Amino acid sequence: MTYDVVVVGAGPAGSVTARFAQEKGAKVLMIDRRAEIGIPVLCGEGISQRIDKWGMLEGTNWIASTMDGAKIYAPDGTMVTLSKEMAGNETGYVVHRDLFDKELARQAGKAGVDIQLRTEALALLKDKNGKICGVKARTYDEEFEIPADIVVGADGVESRIGKWAGINTTLKPDDLETCIQYTLSNIDYHSDYAEFYLGKKIAPGGYVWIFPKEEGVFNIGIGILASLSKPGKPKQLLDAFIKSRPEFKNATCLRILAGAAPVAKPVETVKDNLVLVGDAARHVDSITGGGLTTALEGGKLAGDTISDCVKNQTFDKESLSVYETLWKQAFGQKLLRDYLVKDIMLGFDDKTLNMLADSLKDYKFDEFSTLSLVKALVLKHPTLLVKLKPLMRLSEKVK
Amino acid sequence: MVKPKAKVDEEQCLSCGGCVSVCPKDAISLKNLRAYVDKEKCISCEICVNTCPIGAINMEAVD
Ligand SMILES: Cc1cc2nc3c(=O)[nH]c(=O)nc-3n(C[C@H](O)[C@H](O)[C@H](O)COP(=O)(O)OP(=O)(O)OC[C@H]3O[C@@H](n4cnc5c(N)ncnc54)[C@H](O)[C@@H]3O)c2cc1C
Ligand code: SF4
Ligand code: SF4
Repeated sequence: MTYDVVVVGAGPAGSVTARFAQEKGAKVLMIDRRAEIGIPVLCGEGISQRIDKWGMLEGTNWIASTMDGAKIYAPDGTMVTLSKEMAGNETGYVVHRDLFDKELARQAGKAGVDIQLRTEALALLKDKNGKICGVKARTYDEEFEIPADIVVGADGVESRIGKWAGINTTLKPDDLETCIQYTLSNIDYHSDYAEFYLGKKIAPGGYVWIFPKEEGVFNIGIGILASLSKPGKPKQLLDAFIKSRPEFKNATCLRILAGAAPVAKPVETVKDNLVLVGDAARHVDSITGGGLTTALEGGKLAGDTISDCVKNQTFDKESLSVYETLWKQAFGQKLLRDYLVKDIMLGFDDKTLNMLADSLKDYKFDEFSTLSLVKALVLKHPTLLVKLKPLMRLSEKVK
Repeated sequence: MVKPKAKVDEEQCLSCGGCVSVCPKDAISLKNLRAYVDKEKCISCEICVNTCPIGAINMEAVD
């Protein structure tokens, strides 16, 4: 069997790219080094209900719970609420990421994509002119070659496929959130909100999150900026946070995960006949560290573009760059704006965060999004405008 | 003398890939859900050590 396209990584970005490329006529092989799709889960599992409109997932087994909004806590406890009533009906799900990923892979398989697990990409294949022509892979002890006209790097935060193609995907420590999360059960606490806790002492350059997964079960995690971290610091800070909260006293831990979320500017996503999607492309919101919606959105755009290129048999940068143009239109400005906000927020001390939260605590947000938060901040604090000016212009375009 | 090189405690590693993403020399890969350092490539910068959320990487003398 020969393939037009090989996709490395069967996460959300890989599965969606593979599916839409195959549905419109390309022959696609997707490989993943994992033995089971979605396992281990490396995610907070929160996602906007915006995905309902896209219809990429069938059934509901991947939904763990629905959330009514978000509560953001300043260091002194002042709370800002973004809720359903203020923001229309579109809020969030907590998902079972393993089942979520499996459903997306199932859809890819249904479209005709071949999936090979326990298969790791080791290197890119190049022809005698230096053009990429597939990947070298290993399954169990056997090494073999997968020739393909287009290679997709959907290999997540590690993004080595891009690196091997000469794209600089190495993250600087101040562009990475280093994370740990527990799934805790037997908790005598009820919440229908995603909760976020900010503060230099709580989570330098990041935040603690609490997502309600099931009754009495929560994902509680922390991400801090790697440049402000020390070996094991995320774990120490999360343990201290949990200890300070009486409702977690009798908790039983069901799962521990470590994680790494890029909070970087997107990289070059097309190099000759190679394309990057999802975390590998740094398609992650730098304020929240969330990357699931952009993985789906960007994956579809990549898949559509790739199928056109296969149809026309054009495997060059120019033809594939349609994808880059499309994702920049869809969410490029937003990613850039939130990257700038991340930088500005990093300069805020706890006192400033408290002050900002206080000024927004009764604010009626018109939308459940980071954009509405940023807009409110700009509106309330013209004194901060100097710093936020470049970002304001971006926000205007984003709407 | 050769500088100490990064070494992953395989018992502890939770395969998050953070160390892989920051290594300037592409010296780390995940094999069977554990990070592994290629000593030949490692330049002892310690970035990975500080990045690991659970402190599973140390610098170790090589002979
Ligand atoms: C702790 C944490 C919490 C998060 N919480 C949220 C959240 O609540 N909401 C949200 O939207 N986002 C969240 N994110 C971000 C989200 O998890 C990612 O954006 C998302 O997983 C990106 O999907 P992806 O398909 O690009 O990559 P991944 O899901 O990482 O998939 C990459 C796949 O590639 C495979 N792979 C890698 N290298 C190779 C190779 N050489 N050969 C073969 N296979 C390979 C891997 O095994 C993996 O299956 C969080 C991230 C972290 C770390
Ligand atoms: S010490 Fe530096 S070069 Fe060596 S593995 Fe760690 S990050 Fe890579
Ligand atoms: S950062 Fe730590 S837990 Fe994550 S893969 Fe590297 S060694 Fe393992």
